[in-house]
Amino acid sequence: MGVLLACAAYAVYAAFICRLFFHILLWVRASEQAFTRPAYAVRIRPNTVAVTALDLLFLRRLFSQNKLLWIGSWTFHLSFLLVFLGHMRYFLNPVPACITCLQPFGLVAGYLLPLSLILLLILRTSSGKNRYVSVYNYFLLGTALVISLSGLGLRVFIHPDLAEIKAYILALFTFRPEALPQSIVFVAHFSLVLFLLPFLPLHMVAAPLVTLDARRREDELRTVMHER
Amino acid sequence: MKDKDTFTGCLSRRQLLEIDACTQCGECLKFCPVQEVTGNPLISPPEKIRLFREFIRATEGLGARLLGGREIDRKLLEDFSHAVFECTTCGACSRHCTVGISTQRLWPMLRKEMVRRGLGPLGPQAGMPGAIRETGNPYSKPSAERFAPWFPEGVVVSEKAEIAYYAGCTGAYEAQPMVRGDVSVLSAAGEPFTMLPPEEEVCCGFPLFITGQHDLLEDLTKRLVSAYQERGVKTLVCSCPCCVNIMSRDWPIFFGKDLPFRIRHITQYAAEALRSGRLRIAGELRERLIYHDPCYLSRGVGVIDEPREVLRAIPGAELIEFDRHGLASRCCGAGGAARKVFHDNAIATGRLAIDEAVAKSADRLILSCPACYAKVNEALQGHDKQVRITDIMELLAGLVERR
Ligand code: SF4
Ligand code: SF4
Repeated sequence: MGVLLACAAYAVYAAFICRLFFHILLWVRASEQAFTRPAYAVRIRPNTVAVTALDLLFLRRLFSQNKLLWIGSWTFHLSFLLVFLGHMRYFLNPVPACITCLQPFGLVAGYLLPLSLILLLILRTSSGKNRYVSVYNYFLLGTALVISLSGLGLRVFIHPDLAEIKAYILALFTFRPEALPQSIVFVAHFSLVLFLLPFLPLHMVAAPLVTLDARRREDELRTVMHER
Repeated sequence: MKDKDTFTGCLSRRQLLEIDACTQCGECLKFCPVQEVTGNPLISPPEKIRLFREFIRATEGLGARLLGGREIDRKLLEDFSHAVFECTTCGACSRHCTVGISTQRLWPMLRKEMVRRGLGPLGPQAGMPGAIRETGNPYSKPSAERFAPWFPEGVVVSEKAEIAYYAGCTGAYEAQPMVRGDVSVLSAAGEPFTMLPPEEEVCCGFPLFITGQHDLLEDLTKRLVSAYQERGVKTLVCSCPCCVNIMSRDWPIFFGKDLPFRIRHITQYAAEALRSGRLRIAGELRERLIYHDPCYLSRGVGVIDEPREVLRAIPGAELIEFDRHGLASRCCGAGGAARKVFHDNAIATGRLAIDEAVAKSADRLILSCPACYAKVNEALQGHDKQVRITDIMELLAGLVERR
């Protein structure tokens, strides 16, 4: 069973990396079509860089549109990052001090993550004339919620043998798969992560780049019919 | 063309990233005028983007690379194409996008892809390249009628001048009070200006660009730019937001280098002439004016303050604003070459502007775009709410001191 899950994990990771690789290839190969170039080269001003950094850190574009959605989304992204970094202690040996330092924050984030996902789901399902409904979105949010709840359950109620889990993960990543840990909830948690991986949205990579470009475009808009 | 051929050929790298960057949050939906009047979810930006991603995945995704591309359902493609052409390309979704996707530039490229696949353009749009080739304008109107019916008596056009005026096809054939106002204001400012003869003032290319039919664009641009260059033009003035958009953004690309003159919207010219005293307003107007920002003027090229400067310069006039104005303005429904194909949408959207103007007790609805002018006037006919519609230069021309 352990080997089976390990094989599934390898297949999923390989598919994920290939998918990403082919998609990046698509970006790289795309022609830099003239029509999307700014009419005139615009120097990126230092404050544009600063403003973009704030846009990205605080999802400011979302904030200006919908405060509730922003609370859900920003909390989700931040807590996801902290939880992800917290999980590094299962992948690294010895555990770097910075990861150890983050553990208390990771614990709080472990609670915030499902809460933020529940808020996002409520906002999505609350019917409004202009609400966009996509099955894919529900699927992503729903699966992430189950993963985060199972993770929280493991941390707070189930207390599985962490040494055993870490040994399993380290073995998996060094291509020496071992027998599955005892905890069935861990197996479910880990399997669901594997299941979700191929469906991860590419906006994780693309959105920051587009947000950066949006500020440059705003600067350009001020010049196109005024400075030339 | 097979329906499993690549879908990414017309998109730039940046646009491919934009397709991937959409978080499907749906926040832009609240601002989409077509969504507002049709309620059709297929038109919504995230749905169009989701479908296009599906097309890319089916033809160039991991599965397609390993097992060969999938043929895409023809009906789905047709529905998608219809949705892309039903959009007015107003860019409101771009303005409100939580990521910052430049949809006003993205949708025309998706249209180009649909044209490449034989799924667009729609209805009368398909006849535009032929009409432009034959008559120089997309309306198939004779060039002899381009200026003659509206050109004001007594206005002198120089053979050569540093300032040139381009009337544009929609203004010349469908919004004549507007272009008459333009040349009257130019004349009142007292600076010599030139124009091309009607048979030489061909389409700027925007209707072709926006409907994804790009074949003639380089030729049209080169003809126009060279003709103005020969007349020694340093500033090309135009009142059509779509024209100034393609002129300032895309002409340099089709021309192959920077233009030898600068492009100015007529309101920029008028605001500057008022500031410098070359234009003087003689009368007064005790009215509440509400100004509608054309999408391609505000979001397209950032001309927002100058029309307001002109209106504020009118003694007695009170300028009021739509709830959505400036960069956030709401489309009047006439844009994206969709007004002739999706007439009902355009009328319904135009009436939203009329209703708001009436609700705000405006005496006049001031427009600054020939497509808006033609369609909102049409929307006014038979509507239960009425407001006087005037183009900004038509208004100014009636108030300035004549030379
Ligand atoms: S460009 Fe305008 S009409 Fe088209 S999808 Fe965006 S908001 Fe709607
Ligand atoms: S606001 Fe932007 S990111 Fe959100 S659904 Fe619309 S296009 Fe996509």
